[in-house]
Amino acid sequence: MKQQAFLDKINPVKDKMYRLALRLLVSKEAAEDATQEVILKLWNRKHKIKDYTNLEAFAMMVIKNHCLDELKAKKNNNLRIVHQNYENKSISPQRDLELKDEMNWIQDIVADLPEQQKIVFQLRDIEQLDFEEIEEITKMKSTAVRVALSRARKKIRERLTNKHDYGITKN
Amino acid sequence: MELQKIKDLLEKYDAGETSLAEEQQLRKYFERNEVSESLKPYQLMFAFSAKENQESYDREINLPANKKENRYLWTAMAASIILVIGLFFFQNKPLEMNDKDVSTIQDREEALQKSMEALKMVSEIMNEGKQDLKYLKEFNNTKNKFIKTE
Repeated sequence: MKQQAFLDKINPVKDKMYRLALRLLVSKEAAEDATQEVILKLWNRKHKIKDYTNLEAFAMMVIKNHCLDELKAKKNNNLRIVHQNYENKSISPQRDLELKDEMNWIQDIVADLPEQQKIVFQLRDIEQLDFEEIEEITKMKSTAVRVALSRARKKIRERLTNKHDYGITKN
Repeated sequence: MELQKIKDLLEKYDAGETSLAEEQQLRKYFERNEVSESLKPYQLMFAFSAKENQESYDREINLPANKKENRYLWTAMAASIILVIGLFFFQNKPLEMNDKDVSTIQDREEALQKSMEALKMVSEIMNEGKQDLKYLKEFNNTKNKFIKTE
């Protein structure tokens, strides 16, 4: 495959790859590195790409695995700087929360989800992929995908509700 | 869209059973409408999804040039040049030699001798070849076993 043909194929996918990496690795720098590495990996194995009918799903699967490996390797270094203090009552929430703050809450809530749920939520609600594609990327069964998605959505919503109620009753 | 329908869709959404089209409906609804406090979390979630979808990978993609392909290209070029040169020499040589052979023999007697020799050699070789064909007779032998010719 020629360089240009490869770029034409990878360009529509690279943002999705990066966003999934960002979701899993949190740090922008790490996510960019991961995306770059995976794109190079795909380029080096380009003669095999013809066999994969759906490059997008394949690329997404490779970056997902790459990020999970990275997380496993760095677990001891405590890569995740996740806030565990939502239930902490000592933090006083402000009445007029800007949208930006609320977005940050969700960011933190999502970061707190188990990896599987995080991935499925990312692929479905943010990338809006259909279930077949998600099954292909995650190698999960159809019911497992739906269960993980349902759990992720409920957990995010419940936490947001708690936060809201708390904010209202407090002030 | 009426509120009840939205609430039904949200229930399906929570169960992970909405289609992409239905999720699109919800997304649009929450984008355009003010919602009650109880639905606020959903609105935030859809806003979050939309915002997160804006992130893009801005690093330039630098692919290393493929050396393998170049190496093959040079090998192919060298091979084809050798092939062309080779063909040129081999096609020209035999023609020259034939011309010389014809012109060297002047004497009639000698020429007769030479051609006799050549013809003899040809017939010898033919006989040799014929010997190898002997076993073809076997076909007839076997055939005759089955087909009686009277």
